[in-house]
Amino acid sequence: MPVECRPGTAAVAVLVIGATIVLALRGLARVQVEPGGEPDTGEAFIGPRVRAWYRGLIEPIEEQLADWGTRPDHLTYTQLAVSVLAGLAFASRCVFLAGWLTIFAGTLDILDGGLARRTGLAGPHGAFIDSVVDRWAEAATFLGLGVFFRGSAMLVVVALAAFSSLMVSYVRARAEGLGVELRSGSAQRPERFVILGFGAWISGLVAHLTCPLLGRQSHLVLAAAVIVLAAAATWTAVERARAAAAALRVGAPR
Amino acid sequence: MTGRGLRPVAFLVAMLGFGLRLDTRWQGTAMALLAVAAVVGALSLRPAPRAFVSPDERR
Repeated sequence: MPVECRPGTAAVAVLVIGATIVLALRGLARVQVEPGGEPDTGEAFIGPRVRAWYRGLIEPIEEQLADWGTRPDHLTYTQLAVSVLAGLAFASRCVFLAGWLTIFAGTLDILDGGLARRTGLAGPHGAFIDSVVDRWAEAATFLGLGVFFRGSAMLVVVALAAFSSLMVSYVRARAEGLGVELRSGSAQRPERFVILGFGAWISGLVAHLTCPLLGRQSHLVLAAAVIVLAAAATWTAVERARAAAAALRVGAPR
Repeated sequence: MTGRGLRPVAFLVAMLGFGLRLDTRWQGTAMALLAVAAVVGALSLRPAPRAFVSPDERR
């Protein structure tokens, strides 16, 4: 669908994002991380300080949603719809829009858990629905990304990223079923949202900014983000499998 | 929602506006969203209202 180069709009968007990053860094510096407040996420890209800052940022929205009587399930299904739209946006080559939708879906994913805890509706039913819907949502986004990279070698990388992302969750679920808790890993769900969402955002902006020079839109940044995502997700899935196997071997009868 | 709570909303609306402007033919909707984001962003930057007691009412 994108037919024109819009370097002026892209430049204004860069300024707005730059100003927001400055404000965000100021807020981030003021965040105090409570010991034991956030679960230990091992060597995750996104540390507890950034997680606490983002939680604080979206807390007023969570409060407002609770006041309106919104149920966490509504947000979970909305997240699925937004992820499908992100997939469609990737498939239609609307890369900046796809990045925005991916980040928005990630925000909804954080909001539904927070809302469930705030309203006292957190429980096994919600956790199960959330996990299943998350996998469908991820698959929808990767499907769109696959359509975007059809006909190129990047399609293999997209398939690897999709498979490894699902394996990260599967290994944890299987290990938990066998009594081993796994929270470590550099490419957990928020990290995957950030790599893909921001990768697409930056790619969309770079494509419009360089379009007058190149005469076409180039999405090398998105390709790089997908390669990083595939590598990080594969590494996390393998590390988790190794940790679970080690923990189970210790407890296994000889 | 307080002024500060509107900041992420303004940012998300602005980015949706930029996304539609950059990637689609929905230029009218994009410009409307960017205008809404500017208004919400301006509201979010206002200082939070504080309790005011006039000097006459002070004891």
